[in-house]
Amino acid sequence: MSRTNRNFVIAYVVLVGLPLAGLAGVLRAGRSLAAPISVDGTWKVEADTSRVGPAPCSQAITALSNSSLLISQSGKSLILTFSDGPRSVSAGVLNGRTMSAPLMLEPSSGSGCMAAQAMTLVAAVDEQAEPRTLSGSFSLNDCPSCGPITFRAVRLPRAKKDGGH
Amino acid sequence: MLNLFTLVLQIAVVLAVCRLVGELFLRIHQPRVVGEMFAGIMLGPSLLGWVAPHFSAYLFPPASLGFLNALSQVGVVIFMFLVGLGINPRELKKEGHAAVLTSHVSITAPFVLASVLALYLYPRLSDDSVAFSSFALFMGAAMSITAFPVLARILAERNMLGSRLGTVAIACAAVDDVTGWCILAYIVVLIRSAHSSTSIWMTIAGIIVFALAMIHGVRRLLTGFERVYRRKGAISENLMALMLLLVLASSLFTEFLGIHLLFGAFLMGAIMPKEHQFVRYVLDRFETITVTLLLPLFFAFTGLRTNIGLVKSPEMWMYCGLIILVATVGKLGGSTLASWLSGMPLREAAGLGTLMNTRGLMELVILNIGLDIGVISPALFSMMVLMALVTTFMTTPLLRLICAKELEESSAANKILTRPNPTPQMSLEDSESYVA
Repeated sequence: MSRTNRNFVIAYVVLVGLPLAGLAGVLRAGRSLAAPISVDGTWKVEADTSRVGPAPCSQAITALSNSSLLISQSGKSLILTFSDGPRSVSAGVLNGRTMSAPLMLEPSSGSGCMAAQAMTLVAAVDEQAEPRTLSGSFSLNDCPSCGPITFRAVRLPRAKKDGGH
Repeated sequence: MLNLFTLVLQIAVVLAVCRLVGELFLRIHQPRVVGEMFAGIMLGPSLLGWVAPHFSAYLFPPASLGFLNALSQVGVVIFMFLVGLGINPRELKKEGHAAVLTSHVSITAPFVLASVLALYLYPRLSDDSVAFSSFALFMGAAMSITAFPVLARILAERNMLGSRLGTVAIACAAVDDVTGWCILAYIVVLIRSAHSSTSIWMTIAGIIVFALAMIHGVRRLLTGFERVYRRKGAISENLMALMLLLVLASSLFTEFLGIHLLFGAFLMGAIMPKEHQFVRYVLDRFETITVTLLLPLFFAFTGLRTNIGLVKSPEMWMYCGLIILVATVGKLGGSTLASWLSGMPLREAAGLGTLMNTRGLMELVILNIGLDIGVISPALFSMMVLMALVTTFMTTPLLRLICAKELEESSAANKILTRPNPTPQMSLEDSESYVA
C-alpha cells in the first residue's frame, strides 16, 4: 500500500468510521429518552352541557361541547383549534399527562357572549386507552358562580399521516 | 369540492409574489430560488396570515389546500426526476480519493452532530409517537443534504463549474444527495412499516428488487432515448410523453412499495443516460413549466405549513439557533476539514465547505416528507425551514468573502476564453433555471 493510500485509509477511518461508531452510541443512548406523550391529532369532544345553564356564552360553550378539537403538538407546546363550533385557536401546554390551555370566546351572533369571555381548559390524557382519551373541564374565568363543564374527548384515527404527528 | 376560481387565484398570487421576491433577491446577488422560498413563507401564517388573517383565510381556505398540494407535488416529482438526471456518479471517480473522503465526511459529520443534537431536542420538540431512532436519523439525513441544483447554479454563475473546486463540489453534492435519499427512504420505510401490516423486510426486499431491476434492466432500455436523440438531434413528443410516463410509473411503484413517490422519480432520473447534450435537451423540455409554475406552488405550500409564530419563546429561538449552528458546523466544517486534509489549500477547502452547506429546495422537499410522515413536529419543521433559508442565503456572500481570489481568476479566465467569439455567459441574473 502506497503512503498516499495509507494516509487515505487512516483519514477515512478517523473521519468517517469513528463518527459512525459514535452514531451507534448516540442511537443506543437515545433509547432511554422519554418524549412528551402524544396528543397530536383530531379529537371528538363531548361535554356535559347540562350544567351550562345561564352562564355567559352558554351557546358558544354548548357548540364547543360537541365539536372537533384539532391539536398540533411540538413537544410540550400545543396549538388547539376548535373547528366545528365557534372557531377558536389557542396555545396550550402539556405537563406530564395534564394539558391546559386558555381559551377566548369572542362575542358574535349565536355565541351568547356579550363580551369576550376567557375560559380555561384543563384535561388529563389517558395514555393507556386505545384510542387515547382526554377527560377534563372548561372553566369560565371571572365567573365564580359558574361551575366547570366537564368533557371527554376521543382521538380519531389518523386519516393521512403515517407515523405520528 | 374544487373551487376553480380560488385555485386559479391562488396560482396567480403565488406566481406574482414569487417572481417579485425572486427578482428582489437577484438584486442582492442571491439565487432566485432563495427569494422564492422566502416568498412562500411570506404567503403563509408567518406573515400574510399574521398581518391579514381574513385575507389569508379567503385566499387559502383549508379545504382548497389539497388541490394546491397536488399540483405542487406533481412539480416536485418532475423536479426530482430532473435532479436525478443531472447527477452523474462518474464525476466522483474522476476526482479520486479527495472527493470520496470529502463527500463521505460531509455526510457523516453533520449526520452525527445532528444525531447528538437530537438527544437534546427529542424530549423537547417531539412526542412518544415517534421513536428516537427515527427522529435522530431523520435529523441526520435532513442536515446532511446538499442542494445539488442550487449549488450547480451558483457555480455556473461564478464560472466555477470547470474549476477543481467546482468539480469536487458537484461530485460531493451528488454523492450526498444519493446517500441522503437512501437514508431517508430507510426512515420512511421504518416509520410506515410500524403502521402497516406488511413486514419491513418484505418492503426492503421489494425496494432492493425494484432498484436492481431499474439499474440493471430498465437503464439499458433508456439508452434508446439517447440513441434517438443522437440520430435525430431531437426527441418526438410521443417519446417525451413516454419518458414522463416512465417517471410516473416509477414514482407510483415506489409509493406502492411503501417509500415515497419522489424516490421513484429521483431513481428514474439517476439511471437515465448521462450524455451531456441529451441531458441538457431533456432538462430544457421539462424545466420551464416546472421551475416557473409548479415549484413556486411547492414553495407556497411549504410556506403555508411553516409557522414562524410557533418559534415564539426565547427557548424556541435557542433551539432554532442551535439547529442552524450544528447544520453549519457539521456541513461547512466537516467538508472544509476533510478537503483540507486531502491536500486542498485551506481557502479553497473553506470554499468547498461553504458550497456544500447550501441546502435550498432539496431541504424543503425532505422536510415536507418528514412532516407528512410525522417524524418532525410543526415547530421543528419551521425551525428547519429557517435553517434551510439561512444556510442557502449565506452561501453567496461567504463564497465571495472566502474565494474572492478564485472568483477573480475564474472570471478573468472566462473573459479570455470568450474574447474571440463572445457568447452570452450563463448568469444567475438572466437564467430561470435552478435545476441544473
